Amino acid sequence: MSTWRRCAGGAELLLAVLLLAGPASAEDLRGTVQLLAKGGKGLARGADVRQAVVYWEPAGGANARPPEAPLLMKTRQKQFMPRMLVVPRGARVRFANEDPILHNVFSVSPGSAFDLGFYRKGPGKEQRFNEPGVVRVFCNVHHDMVAYLLVVSTPYFASPGPDGSFVLSGVPKGPGRLTVWHEQADPWTADLQVPQGTPVAARVEVVRPRVPPHLNKVGESYFKSGRDRYNQP
Amino acid sequence: MAQSRSRETWCAVLLFLCLAASTAAQEGEGEQAGQAESSGEAESLRPRFHFSLEGKANYRDSEANRFQVPFDFDPSPNGVVRGFEETVNSGSHFEVSTLTLLVDADWGDGLAAHGKIDFIDLYDRNPTSTDKKADVDEAWVRFGVEPEPATLAPRTGLYLKIGKFSKFERQDDRHLESYGLVSTAFNRFEDSGAELGLSLGRHVYAKLSATQGNPVFIRDPNALAGDNGTPDRSTLDANPDLKSGIVILYDAEVEDLDVDGDLELGGGLGVRFSDEEGRNGVDVLVWSYQRTLADRVKLEGTFYGGDLDLLNGPEGHFEDVSLAIRGDKKEEVGGNVWLYWGGLSLFAQYVDQEIAGLPRTGLEAEAAWRFELPLWVAVGERQLFPWIAPAVRWSRLDNDFRNPRGGTPAPSLTWDWDKIDAGLRLGIFQGIDLTLEYADNKFILGNGAERENNEYLATLRWRS
Repeated sequence: MSTWRRCAGGAELLLAVLLLAGPASAEDLRGTVQLLAKGGKGLARGADVRQAVVYWEPAGGANARPPEAPLLMKTRQKQFMPRMLVVPRGARVRFANEDPILHNVFSVSPGSAFDLGFYRKGPGKEQRFNEPGVVRVFCNVHHDMVAYLLVVSTPYFASPGPDGSFVLSGVPKGPGRLTVWHEQADPWTADLQVPQGTPVAARVEVVRPRVPPHLNKVGESYFKSGRDRYNQP
Repeated sequence: MAQSRSRETWCAVLLFLCLAASTAAQEGEGEQAGQAESSGEAESLRPRFHFSLEGKANYRDSEANRFQVPFDFDPSPNGVVRGFEETVNSGSHFEVSTLTLLVDADWGDGLAAHGKIDFIDLYDRNPTSTDKKADVDEAWVRFGVEPEPATLAPRTGLYLKIGKFSKFERQDDRHLESYGLVSTAFNRFEDSGAELGLSLGRHVYAKLSATQGNPVFIRDPNALAGDNGTPDRSTLDANPDLKSGIVILYDAEVEDLDVDGDLELGGGLGVRFSDEEGRNGVDVLVWSYQRTLADRVKLEGTFYGGDLDLLNGPEGHFEDVSLAIRGDKKEEVGGNVWLYWGGLSLFAQYVDQEIAGLPRTGLEAEAAWRFELPLWVAVGERQLFPWIAPAVRWSRLDNDFRNPRGGTPAPSLTWDWDKIDAGLRLGIFQGIDLTLEYADNKFILGNGAERENNEYLATLRWRS
């Protein structure tokens, strides 16, 4: 289950999933992701291509069963780990707190809003996600804590390696849509046929900062109160 | 005077009683209205109160300065006739400098009230720290939303603030415990009256105020100096226990509620830009004030009167010590810039002032950067040492008028000043921080010689 938790596309587990799903015939879908600077001028600096997610949605739909056990996202050193987590639709995520301080994890993303309230170090709290799409996760105490959940209805997903290359194994033959998602970019999509003769090249432009502008859980600025963040926990 | 002093305290008490009564009435109405009101409406009418205490303890080391003034204090009760401008309380000292009660109440966005009562505040010696047991520093009610500097207004709207409050051009987001020359000379203290703020769209705004005006007085610009009035200063004395300090003219604290005389009228026009989360923003404000100086404003603990009496020389005490004043108008124009960019904050202010024809200008700029520190230790589920914020401030005061030929007890009023304050504020725990700073305070005497009045300051601040 570590592959699920880490959202990386482990070939072995994908193969197992595909065997369970029982496609009539399957192919590998290969390609590369390049993160480009704003305006498309050169490679983007400071944006990690390994944080991208590539996923394939067959035109006929896919049968993806959520895991029984919850996926895990930790808070450690005032950061979410992992920062990006792919969540099969209907799966639960447990937000464990490994810091010795209080956190308050929340999201206001439409369809997946939640607020876990303050909680201390320990196993944390769980939340189920039923709506496909991006869930932006924040801490109501620490402005710079940001994470993303990508809720998907397909078992065919992977994260690129350090060089941007990816392989989606066991993809059923036929038409479908390939999407590349990265927190700092608009989604890149292509309608394709599997098998592909040549590797897919996705050139994605970075247009957003690493910590996006956001408000706290009640829609107020983190920087109010005379900008004197004197009472920060 | 004691009566008028207690009047201020009673005004604040009455204000909060009114708010409490209003709260009770609203709750009663809510019960009567019962099911007619939606739960959301009832929620918005329910007041939220917040009480907190703030305390400060500090260690300081103030450089000693002593200038004999070309002026005789004669007759003098103790026989000492030669006067000095001298550092208030030089050397090393440990002091509990502040103990303050803060009360905030709001009924949603539309109505808010704030009270700040000092039981100890050595910073506010004005002119004496020994005249009051409790000092109502702020007490106001506000109708409407007042956006903070460099944040966008939610929409076109206005607010009205009534009571005793800080001036709208004052820097409230301070990063050091010391004050600059401009923030001491022009708008350090709160004033009593009314302020109207208007937001035209989200970016453009205007301010209008009508207040009683802070009396013109003198103080030393060092952090804890300025105790220019003590009980023993109520009579003429060339050698009081606490010294005069090396003083500048400044707008002193309003000691009493007095709206019978001429009001100070103020106005400002500003423009602000900010991102939606209020982290990055810029705000530019131009402003002006005007009022008629009083012949004399009675101040506690000193035989000097505020306003014209100070500039003329205290009535019945000195002769031929008047500065070259013309008329009785006090006018100021100025400009502010606030800039916030991530952890960086910048504030700058320029002021051009004439006090009864005595011209002077001031310029001050402060930069601070706040860094979040990694989590390495926690106490009680809160991070220990969560942030650190270095800050530096430069300020300058140019006094473009001369001392009287007949001598003056305070020649430093006409000197030019340069001050650099640099320090570091460290967050220790929730509500507790430590500020370490150094003030390089230089002034240029009438003969062109330079002297320094420097100070080290360490302040431990706590707020519940």
